[in-house]
Amino acid sequence: MNFWERLGRIDRRIIYLVVFLGVIIPILLKVTFKVEPMREVKQAYEEVEKLPPGSAVMISIDYDASSMPELQPMLVAILEHCFKKDLKVIMLGHWPLGLPLGQIALDKVAKKYGKVYGKDYVFLGFRPGVAAVMINLGKEIRQVFNSDYKGTPIDSLPVMQNIHNYNDIGILIGLEAGSTGDMWVQFAQARYNAKIILGATAVVAPDLYPYLQANQIVGLIGGLRGAADYESLVHVLGPAYLGMPAQTTIHVLVVILIILGNLGYFATRRRK
Amino acid sequence: MRREVPLFITFISGVLLVIALFIPHKPFGNLEQRFNDWYIIVSGFTMILGIDSLLLHHWNRFKRKREGWIYSIALILAFFITLIWGFYSGIKVGSPFKPNSSFLKYFYTFVFVPLQATMFSLLAFFIASAAYRAFRARTFDATLLLTAAAFVMLGRVPEGNRASVYLFGIALLIAAVILLLEAKERVSTFEKLIHYLGAIVAIVLIYILYRVLPSYLPQIADWIMNIPQLAAKRGIFIGIALGGIAMSLRIILGIERTYLK
Amino acid sequence: MANVIWTWIAAGLTLAIFSFLYKDNPFYKLAEHIYVGSSAAFWFIYLWYFDVKPKLVDAWVQNTGFEKYILIVPAILAVLMLTRFIPTISWLSRWAIAFTVGMGAGLGITGALQGFLVPQLQATLLPIWVHVSDKFTVNLGYSLNNFILVIGTIATIFYFYFSKEHRGGLGYASKVGITFIMIAFGASFGYTVMARISLLIGRLFFLLHDWLHLV
Repeated sequence: MNFWERLGRIDRRIIYLVVFLGVIIPILLKVTFKVEPMREVKQAYEEVEKLPPGSAVMISIDYDASSMPELQPMLVAILEHCFKKDLKVIMLGHWPLGLPLGQIALDKVAKKYGKVYGKDYVFLGFRPGVAAVMINLGKEIRQVFNSDYKGTPIDSLPVMQNIHNYNDIGILIGLEAGSTGDMWVQFAQARYNAKIILGATAVVAPDLYPYLQANQIVGLIGGLRGAADYESLVHVLGPAYLGMPAQTTIHVLVVILIILGNLGYFATRRRK
Repeated sequence: MRREVPLFITFISGVLLVIALFIPHKPFGNLEQRFNDWYIIVSGFTMILGIDSLLLHHWNRFKRKREGWIYSIALILAFFITLIWGFYSGIKVGSPFKPNSSFLKYFYTFVFVPLQATMFSLLAFFIASAAYRAFRARTFDATLLLTAAAFVMLGRVPEGNRASVYLFGIALLIAAVILLLEAKERVSTFEKLIHYLGAIVAIVLIYILYRVLPSYLPQIADWIMNIPQLAAKRGIFIGIALGGIAMSLRIILGIERTYLK
Repeated sequence: MANVIWTWIAAGLTLAIFSFLYKDNPFYKLAEHIYVGSSAAFWFIYLWYFDVKPKLVDAWVQNTGFEKYILIVPAILAVLMLTRFIPTISWLSRWAIAFTVGMGAGLGITGALQGFLVPQLQATLLPIWVHVSDKFTVNLGYSLNNFILVIGTIATIFYFYFSKEHRGGLGYASKVGITFIMIAFGASFGYTVMARISLLIGRLFFLLHDWLHLV
């Protein structure tokens, strides 16, 4: 067996071990890389930045724990931005299993900025129906949510005063691990002209670019890299930013593996 | 009865929804929401069918003591323990998904999330292994796919631009060497010439990329995502939408009946 | 203390699944079967508490008159779905399936037309001759990008047109289309790699941070 054939038959477990070490070592060594924010993330940041203090931002939790590593840092960074700018936050979600994740982040960041529940932010929770919920939010929020997560009537909360439908909301931010983002665009944007920013896992993000170019959404935050960008824009360096060196290491490794694999392929093909 | 009734139900429910979009007043106004609610109820019951077949399969495996029956017991036990815990929490605090329910606090956080997230993260290892074994630049299309993937992978991470110079440089150098070796074995002068030309282009490309990539790779990745990638995705989605509309019409009009089989 | 024990259980399950990378083994098999069994129960609970209970049971209790009794319709459809268990009357389940299919078809038409097709087609009608403000100089970069976008979209649509053999003009168009599709698949592959690695980073971060307290 020559060198190339041996290279071609390398045990896959060796590759797994290298991947494993490629993630662990940068994390243990606490390496950091500077990130230059992507255009579509900057666009999203600027849309939020443009809102006058006191405007309402609606954030939708459309993910659960299986995509938490990507979307939770994104949510925290967005909340930091909103509270720093004195924007009102109205949180809800279409993936009920992700709602606790949304609430944990909301309470933590609100506490950091001394925000008061009911006055500065509210957690509406979940109602079944996805498309129907989105359509009815465009008519009157109270048709869908007459009370918040804890059962408090929303009319008794000052934060909800004068907020009835998408017209009273500055920006709608959907955090997406599946196709709920497409529905936000099809129902909230196409029917009611709501202004939407989507944050999505890297698997979903490429499919959302057509919406961005068509101005159906006004910003796109994709994957852990997008989260790291947002973290650096709001100057709060969190898990996404810290994960970037491991991300770079494995991307380089995958490209090296593709090159090596092809090298072996061409070398053995020539021999034949 | 067996055919006509279902066809009629499909026709009515489909047509009413289309009408509701154009006449958003009574009696059609809230039809969309009502049908959606009904849909949610009916599909909730479909789940029972799936669970039944899963449990039956594993019960049979256990009863006939087929290989791995011990794991089938684990599966059945896991099912019932989860089910009982969930409903117990639900009765105790109103819903198993409230923040103070033990089901959410322990089962969801420390059993379900780790199992699900780790299952998905295994794919990172498989993708790396597949990159090595399966992604071959056999044809022009395959080479294009690989190149686009490499540009996006390196262009979308910090410091990827610096690494890319070496990686693409090495890849092109290898390509040049392969082309030169191939050229020696060719008989016709024309083919020889083409191969030599290819090798020269590869070497010139190394220099160009060396000048361009360090500062422009992120922009190149950005361009790939926003122009050709977007164009193809839009084309695909428009195709899917048109196909979906045509199929929906066929279903409503009763031309497409495979779902009745 | 409870949290420490549960963190160890979570770490144990995580490692049991990772052990598959070395080779298939009883620990992995056990974790896998627990995952499948508990997922099934989990979704059952989920559908009950988030879908069936609020939409059917609670709605029946809270509503009166027409709004209450109309709920008999979906309840009947749901029960019909379960006739699959009884072979002699299983054909009745088609009534319920017919409703879901009809509804999907109706929403498919309206959603796709209004929310996707019209705005996306509109956004593709781009000027391929973009002038700079003085109306005489052409902005080459923009023009070229718009041109590529329009050609790519149209060529991709042609590639999926199977009603005619891909020869002549259609053949060329579909060749251009497949080129764009390959670039898109490459880009999607790159992003998928990114996503899976992010998940792995998340899991290993859990082991190093929450379990071993090394970082």
